[in-house]
Amino acid sequence: MRLAWVELRDLRNHRHTVLEDLPDGLLVFVGPNGEGKTNLLEGIFVLYAVGTPRAATAEPLVRRGCERAYARGEVASAQGRALIEVEIPRRGAARMRVNRSPVRRRRDLRRHVRAVLASPADLGIVVGDPARRRGFLDEAVVALQPAADTLSSAYDRVLRQRNRLLKEHEGGGAPVGLEAWNEQLVVAGTALTRARAAAVAEVGPAASEAFERITGSALQVRYASNVPTDGDLEEGFRARLAERRDDEIARRTTLVGPHRDDLDLGVRELRARGFASHGESWGAALCLRLGLAAAIERAIGEAPLVLVDDPYSGLDPERRVRLGEDLRARADRAQVVVTVADEGHVGEASAVWEIRAGEARRRGAA
Amino acid sequence: MAYEGPIQELIDELARLPGIGPKSAQRLAFWLVKAPPDEAKRLAEAIVRAKERIAFCRECGNVAEGDRCRICRDASRDPTQLCVVEEPTDAATLERAGLIKGRYHVLGGAISPLDGVGPEDLRVQELLDRVERDGVREVIVATNPNLEGNATAMYVAALLKPLGVRVTRLASGLPVGGDLEYADEVTLSQALEGRREM
Ligand SMILES: [Zn+2]
Repeated sequence: MRLAWVELRDLRNHRHTVLEDLPDGLLVFVGPNGEGKTNLLEGIFVLYAVGTPRAATAEPLVRRGCERAYARGEVASAQGRALIEVEIPRRGAARMRVNRSPVRRRRDLRRHVRAVLASPADLGIVVGDPARRRGFLDEAVVALQPAADTLSSAYDRVLRQRNRLLKEHEGGGAPVGLEAWNEQLVVAGTALTRARAAAVAEVGPAASEAFERITGSALQVRYASNVPTDGDLEEGFRARLAERRDDEIARRTTLVGPHRDDLDLGVRELRARGFASHGESWGAALCLRLGLAAAIERAIGEAPLVLVDDPYSGLDPERRVRLGEDLRARADRAQVVVTVADEGHVGEASAVWEIRAGEARRRGAA
Repeated sequence: MAYEGPIQELIDELARLPGIGPKSAQRLAFWLVKAPPDEAKRLAEAIVRAKERIAFCRECGNVAEGDRCRICRDASRDPTQLCVVEEPTDAATLERAGLIKGRYHVLGGAISPLDGVGPEDLRVQELLDRVERDGVREVIVATNPNLEGNATAMYVAALLKPLGVRVTRLASGLPVGGDLEYADEVTLSQALEGRREM
């Protein structure tokens, strides 16, 4: 999958930025922090994930003083070329077009463009609370299986219904209708659990391999499902609900289900251990994203766009070199776009853009 | 923005209707005010007439002119088959498709704790009474194929089964998460043919 060109208008600090004739291989955006290289990378990611909230920044996508931002680009994939256009108003839903025809769902973009963005904010997946890891799991589910984008919201709706029922229940015994909501919870919950387990089975090994190439140790990635995954999933879920029934009524909330899932991460040496340094944690976060990219490649038969924001500053020199080698190896099969603040980290790139004050200038161009 | 006197009262009343926001209410109000006098009058009279003449059927809960609806009065309808729906509009959709040989039972909504709707707010007890009294043999649960409709179906089925009645649910094939109202006749007919035991 290859981006042929991209154009941003009024997106963050980019008033009008056009990148033309994008070559294959490794593309680098270089510039001091705060000048707009991350914004450019996220602007490209919008073509895949418009409207997906990312924790990188609370700053709105629309440039200050403007009503709407635009991102356009042309993607060449095994299915042919697709012109993707996204219009993001300051308030309200984004409008998307593929080959000049409006599309309604993000899923419709994902048929044409797949991208993985790794950014320093992903450190939260490793060091943050379990909600961040569940967020990553669900991103991975959707990235691998675009049609599964309703699983997590469907489960969330059952959960909110059931929690409200438990919360407002007065008096002894179970609230009337609890059994009916249990079954809805089991149906939606097992669907989500299955999808998350399948995603981890795909992403985990690839992430571990990438981590080993960069650090020399394997990464442990284990899906810690809240409901037992050995044996029949539905039966296990129902049995766990029965066990916790009195607790749930006493505490007036749902205590069983994938909203309490986690992802166990660690370094696998002789025994699994936690991450010893910032560099190791960031390496793990980055490798989860790279593992996702590899899993997508296996699933669809071609590599997604890989966008990596500022990968090197958190790493020691040796790991920096190994990551550089890994990204260059990926760039043989797909476009890899990397931002760097330090001129010394540019390395051998197919093309380099200098980013200053929301403008991009291609190095070597007249 | 608030207007003076009667126009603001009209806007406020219209804004209380389901699905009508303040902006639509304003647009409707001004349209009515500018319309020829008999146009507004006809609408007002239709509302009053509907309110006076239309009641809810004491058997099935559907809209009726009188205390029993046309379908409950129709002796040719199979009294041993009941089709349970959420709203009168759902009964109308199924009736237009001409698929149900028996009669309907309108619950008046679906269970939804988030909207403050519990089983006690629906005509569930009336359903159980009717099943026992009329010797009903099959109940087809045709609540909407979405989360709340499914939960309601399951709740109702659990109460009906001990009464020894066959409980079925319309087959999948209906737009998942959607409303019965939007299904076409062919889809409805297939869903009914393929209905499965609950
Ligand atoms: Zn009736």
